[in-house]
Amino acid sequence: MKKKKGDFVERTILGIVSFIKETIFSESLSRKNGFLQRRDARFKCVSAALLLLAILFSKNILSLFIIYFGIIVIACFSSIGLLFFLSRTMFFVPLFSFFIVFPAIFNIVTPGEPILSFNFFNWEISITRQGIDSAAIFFFRVLDSISVAILLVLTTHQNILLKTLRIFYVPKLIVMIMGMTYRYIFLFLDSVIRTFISIKSRIGFVQSTKEGQRLVAFNMARLWLKSYNLQSQVYNAMISRGYTGEAYVLDNFHYNWVDIVLIFMSLFLLIGTICLNLFFL
Amino acid sequence: MSQLVFSLKDVCFSYPGDILALKDLTLEINKGECVAIIGPNGSGKSTLLSLLDALEFPQKGTIKFLELEITEKRMRDADIQKDFRKRVGFVFQNPEIQLFCPTVREDIVFGPLHLGIQKSIIEQRLKEIADKLKISHLLDRAPHQLSIGEKKKVAIATVLIIEPEVFLLDEPTAGLDPSTTRDIINVIKTAHNNGKTIVISTHDLHIVEEISEIVHVIGNNKSIIKSGKAEEILTDSDFLQKNNLMHIHIHRHFDIKHIHPHIHSKTI
Repeated sequence: MKKKKGDFVERTILGIVSFIKETIFSESLSRKNGFLQRRDARFKCVSAALLLLAILFSKNILSLFIIYFGIIVIACFSSIGLLFFLSRTMFFVPLFSFFIVFPAIFNIVTPGEPILSFNFFNWEISITRQGIDSAAIFFFRVLDSISVAILLVLTTHQNILLKTLRIFYVPKLIVMIMGMTYRYIFLFLDSVIRTFISIKSRIGFVQSTKEGQRLVAFNMARLWLKSYNLQSQVYNAMISRGYTGEAYVLDNFHYNWVDIVLIFMSLFLLIGTICLNLFFL
Repeated sequence: MSQLVFSLKDVCFSYPGDILALKDLTLEINKGECVAIIGPNGSGKSTLLSLLDALEFPQKGTIKFLELEITEKRMRDADIQKDFRKRVGFVFQNPEIQLFCPTVREDIVFGPLHLGIQKSIIEQRLKEIADKLKISHLLDRAPHQLSIGEKKKVAIATVLIIEPEVFLLDEPTAGLDPSTTRDIINVIKTAHNNGKTIVISTHDLHIVEEISEIVHVIGNNKSIIKSGKAEEILTDSDFLQKNNLMHIHIHRHFDIKHIHPHIHSKTI
């Protein structure tokens, strides 16, 4: 049945349910037997860090595009659906980077060779070639970086990733917050769904988005207090079983020659990018 | 002479906003006992278990575990904390908050991994407990995909695997079907028969009469109003009814409505 457009509460419930489903699906990806899932998490994290540095140093759109293509190929070899991966990376990147990068295409921010000029209240504004180039480089840097991060998270089990971060001396507090957030999110979403269903059971169909938003806003404070209590209960349950902020996993780390090759390839890419910038660009 | 596990003297505890939870509570629990803490809703049973598990600390009075006073300062010591957590296990009333890992397997091994138990021992215990509680098929599932009964069994497994000396169980059978209730009662009875100290907070008098030897009743005054053997307390209908612990049964025999108090006794 087609959902009525104005049913804000119902759409919110469906949105949360779909988020939970997607999170469960993402979690199941890390247990698949793909190329990156078989890699040692420590080597994978180092390779990802080197790749991020290479992206950071790259000043050439073509090299950034090649890196993105390489990421997509690796994603496909890691049993991650192409459409799923593209939707995750291509949706947010253009949205957020557009707002950030938009002023940079104009001569006010990036002076240079004008491509298109127009008059704005007797003020001549131009879109410059240099502005478009820097905007495109920024866009691809963000796209590549987010893709690397998403690929790492999708192919590494949550607890193993936290444990790896601790191996690399990421502060205990940060790892603790990350772990707690993941552990708590499902409880929180469950609480949100219950709240919304109870709103719906009392008021029935919500006529307009505005009315729905008003009702939800009224319940937000209560939800916040509830979520505060929930997180302290979860924390107590963790403390009760010996939690100290460290991450532990049952499986031991294992690496093989492919992991070493992966690190060397990332290192080679980083050195190559730096040399390209120094000697050719 | 039996060894004292917990000793509470004049314990007072209030939640922020001056909400009194426990007042001048004095209690002793010996090693190997199966103790039931009963009382109406809001009487402070769950708070008492939180204090026994050193998750909260009294504002007044003392709590001793094996002759050692439990204080916030002392529990900040990593070695003391670890030793205490190995000895005392807590099954929370709401299994949702106790299951916070991506899979059931990770949830069960969370405790022993953090308490430094050897991985080979953990794997062996995991297999034994999963078989015993018939949850082997759930190990790779996400906890939030389980039914309430399954969640409760997994929550109990998360504590059983630590093999603590003391089990604190907050409403272990609340909201469960008869078959799951039976399974959980059997687990508690087995642990008790193996010499574990059990402290159960409940108002399900059926499980009290079956497994507990000693009963402490917390009243609405937030203090223990009666302690004694389970048979003595469970047969005192007037006392139970006065303290909201017994209800009236109304049922029909053909066309005749039959009303009587709900009696709990091993002898009747």
